Amino acid sequence: MPQIGALGNGAISLTLEEFEAEILRRLAVEMRLLLEADVPDSDPVVQRLFPRAYDAADDEAAFRQMIGDDLREIKSRTLDEVAAALGTEGGCEVILARDEVDGWLTLLTDLRLSIGARLDVDEQRMAAEVDPGDPDAVALSILHWLGYLQGILVEHALEDR
Amino acid sequence: MRSMQPTIAPERTRDIAEDENIEPDRPWLVIVWDDPINLMSYVTYVFQKLFGYSREKATQLMLRVHNEGKCVVSSGSREKAELDCYRLHQHGLWATIGKSD
Repeated sequence: MPQIGALGNGAISLTLEEFEAEILRRLAVEMRLLLEADVPDSDPVVQRLFPRAYDAADDEAAFRQMIGDDLREIKSRTLDEVAAALGTEGGCEVILARDEVDGWLTLLTDLRLSIGARLDVDEQRMAAEVDPGDPDAVALSILHWLGYLQGILVEHALEDR
Repeated sequence: MRSMQPTIAPERTRDIAEDENIEPDRPWLVIVWDDPINLMSYVTYVFQKLFGYSREKATQLMLRVHNEGKCVVSSGSREKAELDCYRLHQHGLWATIGKSD
């Protein structure tokens, strides 16, 4: 399981085993494709990562125009930072300053939201044990593992505030 | 009489009430909706980080989102609401903008 250690000033070390780092590397590649490909707005993952702010179409259009590509660019930058920290192979020990912890938290959120939206999970399914016979068992297990990792990082970030 | 437009009739009053320009003080609200994915601790963290709320207040808001399905987390001018909503979206929370009743 991922291990974290506090280094002071909000910084932490995060140690990931090889298979754990590999899960994140693969998801990072998928997220990159999602952010760079021309995925239609009707896609449930796109709808969840770039949600509407307004019900009214004209208000929403004005809001979208104002934010432009900002949200996509921030997500892309955060992804670059995390991917760089993960390296290309093996397990890893990552040193994260306070601000970098926030980037990891938001990326882990995006990964979890993406998987959750793709599987269309609800509260009940999230709370249930994963059934090994479920065709989505692997994706659900990854979703829970990402939740564990995010949980220990959030715990640290909350203590640090 | 039939063609006469209402002047003090309730219909007219409603028309005026719906015009936002005549009620500049009616604030814009930022609403966060419950979703099955985000961790409760993460939502608390985001409220603390973005709005500077205490742990206690952030936890209360998070619990209202969780238990009631949604909660107003900030309010003010349209510009402020849009900025807050954008920052919540940046952190993966499901936020929308509305007007108070």
